[in-house]
Amino acid sequence: MPKSSEKKKQANQNHNQWRRLRATGCRLLLAAATFFVSCQRQAIVQKAPPADRRLPYNFVGQNGLVVAANPLAAEAGLGMLKSGSNAVDAAVATAFALNAAEPFASGIGGGGFMVIYLARSQKATVIDYREKAPLGASPTMFREKGEEEGMWRTSTGLAVAVPGALAGWDLALREYGTVSLARAAARAIEIAEQGYAVSQTFSSINKDEYERLAANLGEGSCYLNGGLPYEPGDVFRNSDLARTFRLIAAKGIEEFYRGDIARRIVAAVQAHRGIMTLEDLADYKPEEVAALRGTYKNHTLVTAPPPASGGLHLIQLLNIAENWPVKGWGHNSPKTIHHLSEALRFIFADRERYIGDPAFVSVPVNRLLSKEYAAAIASRIMPDRPLDSYPYGEFDESAPTQGNTTHLCVIDREGNVVSLTQSINDFFGTGIVPEGTGFLLNNQMADFSSDPESVNAPAPGHRPVSSMAPLIMFKDGKPLLVLGSPGGTRIFSSLAQIVLNVTEFSMSLDEAIEAPRFFSYSAAGKPRPISVESRLPEATISELQKIGHEVTVREAYDKYFGGAQGIMVLQGKRIFLGGADSRRDGWGAGY
Amino acid sequence: MTQRLTVCLGLTFLLCSGAALSAVQNTTAVFEEPLLITSAGQNAEVQLAAVLAKRAGLDYILSKLATASDLENTKTLTLVLGASLKGLGAAGLDVDKERERVRALVTESQKRNIPILCLHLGGEARRGQQTDDLIAEFLTWAKMAIVVKSGNNDGFFTKICQAKNIPLIEVGKTADALEPLRKAFKR
Repeated sequence: MPKSSEKKKQANQNHNQWRRLRATGCRLLLAAATFFVSCQRQAIVQKAPPADRRLPYNFVGQNGLVVAANPLAAEAGLGMLKSGSNAVDAAVATAFALNAAEPFASGIGGGGFMVIYLARSQKATVIDYREKAPLGASPTMFREKGEEEGMWRTSTGLAVAVPGALAGWDLALREYGTVSLARAAARAIEIAEQGYAVSQTFSSINKDEYERLAANLGEGSCYLNGGLPYEPGDVFRNSDLARTFRLIAAKGIEEFYRGDIARRIVAAVQAHRGIMTLEDLADYKPEEVAALRGTYKNHTLVTAPPPASGGLHLIQLLNIAENWPVKGWGHNSPKTIHHLSEALRFIFADRERYIGDPAFVSVPVNRLLSKEYAAAIASRIMPDRPLDSYPYGEFDESAPTQGNTTHLCVIDREGNVVSLTQSINDFFGTGIVPEGTGFLLNNQMADFSSDPESVNAPAPGHRPVSSMAPLIMFKDGKPLLVLGSPGGTRIFSSLAQIVLNVTEFSMSLDEAIEAPRFFSYSAAGKPRPISVESRLPEATISELQKIGHEVTVREAYDKYFGGAQGIMVLQGKRIFLGGADSRRDGWGAGY
Repeated sequence: MTQRLTVCLGLTFLLCSGAALSAVQNTTAVFEEPLLITSAGQNAEVQLAAVLAKRAGLDYILSKLATASDLENTKTLTLVLGASLKGLGAAGLDVDKERERVRALVTESQKRNIPILCLHLGGEARRGQQTDDLIAEFLTWAKMAIVVKSGNNDGFFTKICQAKNIPLIEVGKTADALEPLRKAFKR
């Protein structure tokens, strides 16, 4: 009996264990099934983009998404993400690919800013790889050229600042990436070598910049097609660039800053009457700096600090807008455009007065970004007419400070984010290509002021003020919007409009990007016209003119206003939506 | 199927090349050198026109801001049509001032019996309201027009040229304008 009762007890135990196991198994099966079903339910089908690129369209991803100014570049970044690499790896691969696929806007001959957000540590940081003035630079270096100053600032060797892109990408990969520079460059080498059909955007920019290119490039340069601009559909190849990337992949960035490529850069710059030396290149160092932060209502804005003035002014503009019922006034209503244009004019007065390289001049960042200062500006703006002049803010300057472009955004499956803006300044930069290298040198020295007394006057080792504003916008501590744009001084105005379109006017990201834009500024405190895209209703333009604004009507979708790229994160659903600007060749690629 | 496709493609090619050839063959030499090249709208294509003129071996002067006095010793006025806000800004002009400059040139050329050759080399990208306004005003004075075909997709040039009986030559690409340009001048 005892034996049988033990057996019974054992049997009961076994049975109970089996029941527990079976219940656990069932629960696991149920969970797996639920997960499978929910995955099935949430699986996103990416529809093909519409034939009319102007129509709002969301690129979609669940595990990762790259949005960039060119489809080949976006695909290069996606390839990196799919292989298990992180957002920083993908951003650098995309940046390399843009040099091959959109060479007129950025590349290793230029520089930029990269805002990185690391999901696990919830850390945001900025890599500043803005170009620097050569050590031979001086405040009067352009002024003394007299009537030819404009040409010297844009189209000669004197316009070339020391490039920072490659050093910046390298730093980002070493600190936050998982792959080598060689791996990040691999797809770009293929693109440069295999070539691609030139787009309408490429062709029209190639024609627009023809005079400078014809003056600075040889007949056989790949940046012209038999000495003439490329037509849409012509095939563009750049085997010299592929060779340069291979060399860098094999020997590292030392080859660019101290090796044979450095010697070619200096030879090209000096042959075009520039002053850059081997020492300038050898001395170049990118910097990791603290991100600049601000808020718009219940959103936190994280961007690059000066000398990238765009982020600072973007926060400033949104601070001012917080004082107004913009939503009630309506999207692109005369009242909205009037008030924001007036705010922009005040901001440009501050920009002229205060913004320089923070390594050398004191920039009153905290004062410029204070809500009180924004409210003071808002109160000075008349509701029914433009002002005659726009003075800069008066601050205690000794107060301590805190610490023609392309934009790309990346998010990976871990939720890491990169918002990267970079440039060679004007389209095709100076149009100078170091012999046999295939990359264009920037004309970023033109971003220095022509006024030798300016805080932004050229000086040895200074970085010129930039309007770039790579942005990550957070809500409840999590990324909601990743955004940026090219467009020179229009950058922060365009980004502010996109942020308002999303937050105040409930537009989808791409609707917000494609919506008609406007811009105004002041020079020496005097108002400049409001530029608008011709899609704005005639009645709106008339109303602005009636209250005293001069209005310049530009093309319906004008590259003048930039080419924004963005990612919106739907946190609850874990879906990434990409918006890419049809003003250029913007594209997204997700999985 | 493949053979039919090949035949179709072949015929299309022959028709296209035939059309291009006939455009060049139909170009009548009506202009004389030297020519003054300027834009109507400060576009970048004015530089391309100068390169084409150089390659065509023509005796030309390029002046982005030509005035009536520049027509002295000129036998043909070449207007490269297309407004560029960037170009206008660089020249310190607005569209109205540019229109006045070109009007004065056209008026003087009519006084001096200097024929006008109009070029539109920017294709579809160089269209838009401001460009169209300039085309509508100045193309009507042309003795001949050479345009990149994609700029005339909507028949805008065709309509004006037919109404004014102006010979219109369409080319596929900017570079293709070289031959008609060469043949348009008496040698």
